[in-house]
Amino acid sequence: MRWLRFAIGLLIALTLHSLLDSFYPNALAFFNPYVILVVYYSMGGNILGAIAAGVLAGFVQDAFSNAMFGLHAFSLTVCAYVVAYINSRLALRGTLAFGACLGGAVIVNELVIYVLVNILVKQRIEMFEQALLVKTIFTLLFGMFVYQLLTLFLREEPIEATRRPAAW
Amino acid sequence: MAVPTDVIPRRPTLLFIVVLALLFVLMSFSQQTRYLGETRTMFERTVMTVFSPVPKFVSWVGGSAQDIHHGYLDMRRAVNENLELRRTVASLTTENLKLRQSEGDLKRLRSLLAYAEQFDMKTSMGQTIMLDTAGRFKSIIIDRGSADGVQVNDVVANANGLLGRVVLTTNDLAKVQLVTDNNCSVGSLIERTRRQGVVRGSGGTSLHLFDIPSLADVQPGDRILTAGIDGIYPRGIPIGTVVRAEPGQSLFKTVTLKPAVDFGTIEEVIVIHTRKVPPSVVRYAP
Repeated sequence: MRWLRFAIGLLIALTLHSLLDSFYPNALAFFNPYVILVVYYSMGGNILGAIAAGVLAGFVQDAFSNAMFGLHAFSLTVCAYVVAYINSRLALRGTLAFGACLGGAVIVNELVIYVLVNILVKQRIEMFEQALLVKTIFTLLFGMFVYQLLTLFLREEPIEATRRPAAW
Repeated sequence: MAVPTDVIPRRPTLLFIVVLALLFVLMSFSQQTRYLGETRTMFERTVMTVFSPVPKFVSWVGGSAQDIHHGYLDMRRAVNENLELRRTVASLTTENLKLRQSEGDLKRLRSLLAYAEQFDMKTSMGQTIMLDTAGRFKSIIIDRGSADGVQVNDVVANANGLLGRVVLTTNDLAKVQLVTDNNCSVGSLIERTRRQGVVRGSGGTSLHLFDIPSLADVQPGDRILTAGIDGIYPRGIPIGTVVRAEPGQSLFKTVTLKPAVDFGTIEEVIVIHTRKVPPSVVRYAP
């Protein structure tokens, strides 16, 4: 069931990706729906599932973008692992916790991409800091909005949520 | 507070490292194949193929939505344009009707003017304002009266032929007795043979030509003109056309005429101010 929900989320992310590509081609420079999906899934604390989700979501993003194939899979896997690892130790719940995880994940994701592009392509990403800031803000806003919708209206909890007490 | 170790799931860090390593290799391979002209690896193509229905569907939905939106806009534009065109058509039709009427008026007035110029007598133009051709006494009233120089016995005609004579004037109106009135007589002649006679109204829609001998040559289609012998009507105004000429019971033929003028369509008229024969001349007996 959780994989089905992940698959639906992935299709929605891809639909959003295609829509933005079709109508606002530059929008994906400021916003990443795949990170939201991966973070949401990884907040369940299941590290294996998070790695798989990161790889799969990353492959889909790679397939429909012009980046090196595997680049986003790599960065999203790192994000998924970190978020799942933290959530396996701490029971983070609520919009603010999700926002913190998402913001951190966006930054990690962009940094990993930056480093990989530097290593493999030996190119500098132009206006990286500005793009990182804008992408973090917009992805955070949209992600928290989606999280609010899921938790308040659909009474949805992060997938495979673990019922453990907070770690601090 | 530390989380109990029995609820912390097993962290597959090794697996994570292996996956990252594999992804790094894949990326390197992908990057290298780009320089060889292979922009997509087989694995990448497979992922694309599996998920390609989604972008296709989105594209189809987007295209359809755009088509519907544009179709709706086009329809709205067409409806507005149609309304505008209908208004334009109505306006142009009205204008066209006015122009046609003006053209008809112009033609009639031109022909009337040309006809009036044939006479060496003074003429004036008038407009019919009342028409009484249905009763026994056939008459019309025109918008010219004594103030315009119209006198009793002035001749009234239009471009088609003779209408009648003025029998009554006021300051600004005049009553005209039509030739179809059965009290009206006009000295006339047959254009082809110059045979003279008298045309009288029948009280209906036709005219009769009297005083034509039985042996005179009269045929249907002959044009009848005013003869200018009665002291009122000048010579040469068309009165009508012979439609029937039959031998009468006496010495004269019975000749029926169709008037040259359609009395149901009279609009503009010419008043010909004829030279009147002084009464003393008429009365004088040598």
